[in-house]
Amino acid sequence: MEHVLSINNISKNYGNITAVRNLSLNISEGSVFGILGPNGSGKTTTLGIILDVINPTDGTFTWFRNLSKKENRQKIGSTLETPTFYPYLTGIQNLKIIADIKSIKYDNINKVLKDVGLYERKDYKFKTYSLGMKQRLAVASALVCDPKVMVLDEPTNGLDPQGIAEIREVIKNISKKGKTVILASHLLDEVQKVCTHFAVLNYGKLIYTGKVDEVSKEQQVVEVSSEDIVNLEKAINKFSFKKGYDLEQDKIIVKLENNKSVLDLNRYLVKSGIIVTHLVIQKKSLEQQFLDILNESEE
Amino acid sequence: MKRIVRIEILKIRSYSTFWVLTALYFFILITILFSGKFFLDFLAKKGENLGDIIDPSRIPIYDFPDIWHNLTYVAGFLKFILAIFIIISITNEINYGTIRLNIMNGLSRWEFLISKLVLVLLLSITSTFFILVTGFVLGFLYSENMEFLDIITYMVFIPGYLLQIFTYLIFALFIGLLIKRTGLSMGLLFLYTLIIEPIITFRIKTEWIKGLFPLKAINNLIRFPFSKYAFREVQDYIAWDDALIVIIYLIIFISLLYLILRKRDL
Repeated sequence: MEHVLSINNISKNYGNITAVRNLSLNISEGSVFGILGPNGSGKTTTLGIILDVINPTDGTFTWFRNLSKKENRQKIGSTLETPTFYPYLTGIQNLKIIADIKSIKYDNINKVLKDVGLYERKDYKFKTYSLGMKQRLAVASALVCDPKVMVLDEPTNGLDPQGIAEIREVIKNISKKGKTVILASHLLDEVQKVCTHFAVLNYGKLIYTGKVDEVSKEQQVVEVSSEDIVNLEKAINKFSFKKGYDLEQDKIIVKLENNKSVLDLNRYLVKSGIIVTHLVIQKKSLEQQFLDILNESEE
Repeated sequence: MKRIVRIEILKIRSYSTFWVLTALYFFILITILFSGKFFLDFLAKKGENLGDIIDPSRIPIYDFPDIWHNLTYVAGFLKFILAIFIIISITNEINYGTIRLNIMNGLSRWEFLISKLVLVLLLSITSTFFILVTGFVLGFLYSENMEFLDIITYMVFIPGYLLQIFTYLIFALFIGLLIKRTGLSMGLLFLYTLIIEPIITFRIKTEWIKGLFPLKAINNLIRFPFSKYAFREVQDYIAWDDALIVIIYLIIFISLLYLILRKRDL
């Protein structure tokens, strides 16, 4: 698949502080790419660089179109950090400015305002907006050019649960249309729900990149239960393909070794003459994976 | 180009500070330019009792062609009001983070600079046009000379005024972009105009070296006109070398503006 964005060895120093260190990433067309990392890990700096508002100290990046940098940015819908607009202008006036910057007509403005649930407040000044509404306007500004690529920096920051769900729907709809979304977030749940790929940054360094659904494949965690829990525990204690297990009231949580599946466990239990009443593969959450990755990188 | 002008107009059209400041500017401008006659009449009245030889009310300040020189000279003092707005405009873009919004959505840094130059040009042209109209109105009201040649002689002060105000506002734009903070930028502009440059140039005896400093150079475009009424020689034209120095400053300021925009993380 074609790469929408290739980042090659980008670094950014602020005096002695290195915000981004030799970062290389490829983002393929149609993916929803989550950039994860704790606060200050370089997510926003990276997005700032690919949007040309921050000059990298070193390295290059290319968007898939061979247009000028300015033309690329006109075709990208983006939000960066906290939403910034002209405070003394209304929502709709601000979007008109964005439309003119992007060399497009005003036709789409009302529609995107409806999409993000801001239509009723479109004629209010930006400075009267709550943080959630500002965030909605930022997402609207990213949608207004019907972009092929969206770059979103913490798009659900400051939104209420309903707003988070709505913005998530918006993102899913965009990706359904085959568009690429690059999403920086520290909300892992969010990334797991909408992203196909993700990368983890820490101290400006890329420490992991992969597909979201492969997270759960690598190492399986299985819940198992039986009428005779004591016997079950004895059997599992002797099971050789496990990394460890926990006894939890009426069930046992078994962590399997890499590349061992629930099949191996079940086959073993049947052989041992144990009939299970409950056998569930726990989807390993991105959160666990994320914390594991961070811990490994810091060791 | 049309797009850039439209963007800049969208930005200021609903900005009340812009309307308040421009209204204030034109109000003060009109008051001062139109009150010259009243002021001289007032002086004449005061002087009656003293039995002075000259009657100030008969000084022909509104006569063609001198009116162009007189008006543009006086109007030049008010350009600082427009400079305040230019500083607010550029420092707002920085402090609100909207300069970043402009760039990341697809304005190039050069286009952003152009949009601000357009704003400066718009204000300069409006002000110049206003002076032109005022000149005709006051001239036709009060002037003794109505010959066509009298009317148009010295009209070179109109483009001269345009160049003067444009360069001064670009200088304000440069300070605003450099300093970033609104109040600090205004403070520095006035400090430089009223104190720093006068102190530096105070000890310099040679007139042409003084004229190499930016504000002196800008002000030198239109020299003091009123001493001619005391029968002294005045420079009643725009000198080419004066204009050249100002144009060189203009190029320097615009290049520096672009350089700052280019290098800075937004």
